[in-house]
Amino acid sequence: MFDLLVTGFSIVFAPATFLFIVGGTIIGVIFGAMPGVSASMAVALALPFAYAMKPIVAIAFLVSVYCASITGGGITAILFKIPGTPSSAPTTFDGYPMAQRGEAGKALGYSLVASAFGGLVAAFAMALISPQLAAVALKFGPSELFAVSFLGLSVLSCLDSDNIVKTLISGCIGLFLACIGMDPMLGIARFTFGSSTLLSGIEMIPVMIGLFAVTEVLKQTNKQKKIDIEKDSTAKGGDTSAKLPSIKELWETKWTMIRASVLGTVVGILPGAGATIASFLAYAIEKKVSKHPELLGTGIPDGIVASEAANNGATGGAMVPLLSLGIPGGNAAAIMMTALVIQGVQVGPLLIKQQPEYLASVFASMFVTNIVMVIVSMGIARVFAKILSVPYSILGPVIVILATIGAYATNNNTGDVVLMVVAGIIGYLFSKLKYNSAALVLGLVLGQMCESNFRRAYTLMNGSIIGIFSKPITFVIVSACVIMLVYPFVKPLISKKKA
Amino acid sequence: MDIIFSAFLIIAGIGLFSMIGADPSAAASETELGAAFWPQIVLTIMIVLSVVNIVTALKKMKAEGKTITSEIDVAGFFKSKLFIGMIAVAVLALVLPTIGFVPSCILFLIGYGVLLKAPDIPKLAIAAVLITIVIYILFQGALDIMLPRGTGVFRELALVFERILPF
Repeated sequence: MFDLLVTGFSIVFAPATFLFIVGGTIIGVIFGAMPGVSASMAVALALPFAYAMKPIVAIAFLVSVYCASITGGGITAILFKIPGTPSSAPTTFDGYPMAQRGEAGKALGYSLVASAFGGLVAAFAMALISPQLAAVALKFGPSELFAVSFLGLSVLSCLDSDNIVKTLISGCIGLFLACIGMDPMLGIARFTFGSSTLLSGIEMIPVMIGLFAVTEVLKQTNKQKKIDIEKDSTAKGGDTSAKLPSIKELWETKWTMIRASVLGTVVGILPGAGATIASFLAYAIEKKVSKHPELLGTGIPDGIVASEAANNGATGGAMVPLLSLGIPGGNAAAIMMTALVIQGVQVGPLLIKQQPEYLASVFASMFVTNIVMVIVSMGIARVFAKILSVPYSILGPVIVILATIGAYATNNNTGDVVLMVVAGIIGYLFSKLKYNSAALVLGLVLGQMCESNFRRAYTLMNGSIIGIFSKPITFVIVSACVIMLVYPFVKPLISKKKA
Repeated sequence: MDIIFSAFLIIAGIGLFSMIGADPSAAASETELGAAFWPQIVLTIMIVLSVVNIVTALKKMKAEGKTITSEIDVAGFFKSKLFIGMIAVAVLALVLPTIGFVPSCILFLIGYGVLLKAPDIPKLAIAAVLITIVIYILFQGALDIMLPRGTGVFRELALVFERILPF
């Protein structure tokens, strides 16, 4: 093991490789912070550079782009309420309110440290127990994956405990939107009303950008007073010299950081799950275990830490099935695998046995990236934070333009911009009527995974629903979900009885 | 408003439920749940919850002595900045394919800035042009994202811009 680590670091600290990793980190953070450039798109954009490198350097470079882009997504989520990557959406819940209070620097500090911690935990997990973790992940069939996605959905019950019915309705709207388009099993068109555009389904990124960014600009447009105080830029979080969190403050979030990092790593390993589900799940679990759940969503560090540690944990997790089994866990991993295959590397179970230096270099590059990333991101975040001091009459429209590009860049389709606008208006209506936009996003993210795995499991069990739930892992997870979903309804009855 | 929205969800839910149920290709078989199964489950839950929401809202309204329309100010909404803002964003999305990114970006930045009461219009116009240039170079040039060119003369203009890009 020690030899493996030495090999990894000797590869990574070779001057050229190290420079590529630092360059990849800078590219990753910038790309990640750009609305509409997802982590997989960032890796794809960096791919042409990797062709000219040796395979082992190429994978180290692409890993650094991947890890850094997930972190970069948190910067715009905190400063502008535009999640740079979908996995940063939960970061907006607490990050943006903190930035609005003039604590942008602190929020970014928490985000970066948590990201680095999550990434390091995942890197160690990958290096130490990669084959074992992959073996466990292989035991997850459709019924278990359905249970995991259902666990994600059970989060709905705790997103807004004051408006539980409306939150669940919002989640149902999201789940319904995920049904639009081709049916995942049989390819039957559903709710497309004859439109060929709708056949590919409702795109997640435009909806997310619309619900978070456009809605926020519309809200600010409606708040005349807020706009009038634009001369006092610090009131809008434009204080770029804002203090970073102290060691003591960071130490106070240690359990959240550990929980979210481990959870993110585990979720990242599961094929099809990924960083977005990891961050939502970690946020929800934080809300369940927190001593002050009512404060989550109002701008407290725990929410940022949970989301960012989990989505970075998932980056390491995603590398586990790729390196151990040759199965890409997500889009970014698939692109990295393509880069290796093009260079003639046989990715699969034999890779770790016959060429352990690949695992070593990935581990070492993740390790280095997660440390370099904090320094690089802080510099980039300061530049981004300066934008907050721009008057809102300029900043507001710029946010809409960036959101427009973000929505458009998903498929180079102006139809997605229209979708973003519709989502923005619905988001405003939701906020007025106290529905929950985050719940809608969660339903949209998890809908197809939940449905396709449930139906696949049903077919595998020859049409037995009992058969699906009788699998031990599925039974345990689904039972926990049912308790989580029912508890908010039962809780008032219990307290009433006690009184 | 809440009750109207919930009622809309119920009506839409019932309509969509029937629509997918009427599709014979979406029906279940012995070992396949069918394309209608999942949406129908989701829609059923949504309808039930919307009914619960209406009942709760009606109870609350009764207790507060309000009516369904007492909080709705339609005329006020159409005169509000919010409505103009919504229209501006919608217009941006609709004109983007026709006039392309650069003109729509400049016009939107100026228009929305005026809506947000920018104190100095000439400065706003200069800022709008500069911001558009920076965004265009960054996304179209450096990140190679093909921003909408528009049609006709706007397309020709966009092609000229692309030729002079530094990347």
